[in-house]
Amino acid sequence: MNSPLSIIISREYLERVKRKSFIITTILMPLFMVGLMVVPALIAVFSSPEEQRIAVIDNSGVIAPRLQNSAEVNFQTVALSIEEAKADESFNGVLEIGKHIVDSPSDVRLYTHGPASMMVEQYISGQIESDIEAIRLARYDIANLEQILNSIHADVTLSTMRIDKADEETSSGLSYGMGMAMAFILYMIILMYGQMVMTSIIEEKNNRVLEIVVSSVKPSVLMAGKIIGVGLVAMTQILIWAGIVLSFTVWVMPLVISSVAGSDADFAAVLSQLGNAGYVAMLFAYMILFLIGGYLFYASIYAAIGSAVDNIQDAGQLQMVAVLPILIGFILAPSVLNNPMSGVAFWASIIPFTSPMVMMARIPFGIPAWETILSLVLLYAAFIGLIWLAAKIYRVGIFMYGKKPTFSELIRWARYK
Amino acid sequence: MDSIIKAEHITKAFTNHVALDDVSLEVPRGKVYGLLGPNGAGKTTLIRIINHITAPDSGSVMFNGRPLTAADVVNIGYLPEERGLYKKMKVGEQALFFARLKGLGRQEAERSLRQWFERLEISGWWNKKVEELSKGMAQKVQFIVTVLHKPELLIFDEPFSGFDPINANVLKREILKLRDEGATVIFSTHNMSSVEELCDSITLINKSHDILSGKVSDLRRRFSDNSMQMRFAGDFQTLRAAIGDAAASVEQTPPDRDGNSCARIRLHDMADMRQVISLANNAVDLRGFSELLPTMDDIFIRTVEASNSNQQ
Repeated sequence: MNSPLSIIISREYLERVKRKSFIITTILMPLFMVGLMVVPALIAVFSSPEEQRIAVIDNSGVIAPRLQNSAEVNFQTVALSIEEAKADESFNGVLEIGKHIVDSPSDVRLYTHGPASMMVEQYISGQIESDIEAIRLARYDIANLEQILNSIHADVTLSTMRIDKADEETSSGLSYGMGMAMAFILYMIILMYGQMVMTSIIEEKNNRVLEIVVSSVKPSVLMAGKIIGVGLVAMTQILIWAGIVLSFTVWVMPLVISSVAGSDADFAAVLSQLGNAGYVAMLFAYMILFLIGGYLFYASIYAAIGSAVDNIQDAGQLQMVAVLPILIGFILAPSVLNNPMSGVAFWASIIPFTSPMVMMARIPFGIPAWETILSLVLLYAAFIGLIWLAAKIYRVGIFMYGKKPTFSELIRWARYK
Repeated sequence: MDSIIKAEHITKAFTNHVALDDVSLEVPRGKVYGLLGPNGAGKTTLIRIINHITAPDSGSVMFNGRPLTAADVVNIGYLPEERGLYKKMKVGEQALFFARLKGLGRQEAERSLRQWFERLEISGWWNKKVEELSKGMAQKVQFIVTVLHKPELLIFDEPFSGFDPINANVLKREILKLRDEGATVIFSTHNMSSVEELCDSITLINKSHDILSGKVSDLRRRFSDNSMQMRFAGDFQTLRAAIGDAAASVEQTPPDRDGNSCARIRLHDMADMRQVISLANNAVDLRGFSELLPTMDDIFIRTVEASNSNQQ
């Protein structure tokens, strides 16, 4: 614990982890995400909407008896004139059905006090539609109509099997969702923490504390310590988030599953796949590997840029070297998800600049292991080359004040002895 | 001569300029060594090379008779010219961090830090955040961090910039104390009066070249133009007439604090001194007589200007 590297790592780590902003974002972020998922569901479950009383004035005389009440809509056939019904405040709305509704289906109007909810409108027009259809069908006088209708009714649930994976059942919807989510997490973490490395180097350079630190340790050790220290902060945050998500899965998900089971076969299949510990662990392991590789790769670039400039404004152009590929990787993700085996998807997931995001998007679709391994090997190899280059630029850059360097100057610095 | 640092034929070039061109330097152990030169002369680059922060393009640096390595850095304490501290950290915590980077154990570091905080009368700052300190206060902390691990060699780059006179004196006292305790001190400055007070030897660097080096006392004598200061009561014209051609020149200078008349007398040769004194003694009432050695300021300006005009 007493090597200069470990002392620097622990300073970088503790300084950030002890900050209030870190503690707050770490705790609030998952709560926010969970809230985003759970709150609408809770609202749907617990807040049964207020029942809408609709007065029905049926001039055709055939629709009203067929209307069925629901939890939200309560139809009451009235023998009032339209003006009287409108004046009666005990009704939320008045439905006026035309005399020839069956032949001219647009001959129907809904008057409401206040705005009508979309759900109510849809419910009412759906009811009338099916009623009209039933009446029209009945005109054909087909015998045993009810049985025929029942016997032709079909409910399709599509199961997709992988031929190359021993008929394992997969869900493209789930893979899509997982791929997008993981590509997003990588994109966010790499960008956020990569830039944190850069701004913190600029800050050190700006207030000249760097001059004092490098009088004790080699610049390369300081740079490595910073990258590792910030990386550990990211890792801490991810593990805490994973812990929160996991405990959420263990305690809250079963309740959700039992409440939705049976109602939606697709959704239940998704949940059962998410409950598959091995699958989740495999994805998580890959994600950590790509996250570490991708972070180290981009943090090296950011460190070199941070060392070369005096303030964040000057970093703008140079930063594009890092921001653009991260962004491209993230932008490619949806098209890769639509066609995970395309040439673009393959190459973008192998070439180190975009590989962390794009490969993470592809993995849930079950791609050959050699592709993943090749991508990882290339990523880590590229990182080693890059950090070597970054250390050389950094060593010169941290003592350069005053002027904004160009990209070719950075390369020249790397060649100094 | 027992030297702690011996740098030979150091050359270092950057993209658009040569920072050091064939510079050599030998720092004797246990002395205070001044590294002088105008801004941009290459002092800081040389110091960074001695600190093993950057490498020279060519030339060698010996530390204690062996080639300088990265491991030697723990035996060096370096106070950079541009210096700062982590703003958000507490003073004590931060001092501990730097002390541990220099290889001190946590307890040892804390103990001697407390001693130093006591010695410089800043014990109350331990739990303050750096952003609450004034610039001078921060510099005391930086000074402590530099010397805490008792390095053999101390390097101060412009140590007095930003210090008020009281704290500058504290710093001078501490530097001399450290030298008396056996440390070697290199300091770079363009504050010439502090050079006369503190330095045993100097090297003067101008435009990437070392143009002058040696002991301060030798240099002042070497640059002497055989001038004397004479303090007397009486008429200046009488004095000048009495000395006549025995001296190269006799000029009146402003009277001293005690109201004595003063004259600056430049001799043809130091051997003429006794003759001039006896001539003067006959003409006026002599109150005092002393050799006028050039200040380091004079030497600095003369040497730099001469070297600049040589190059043109």
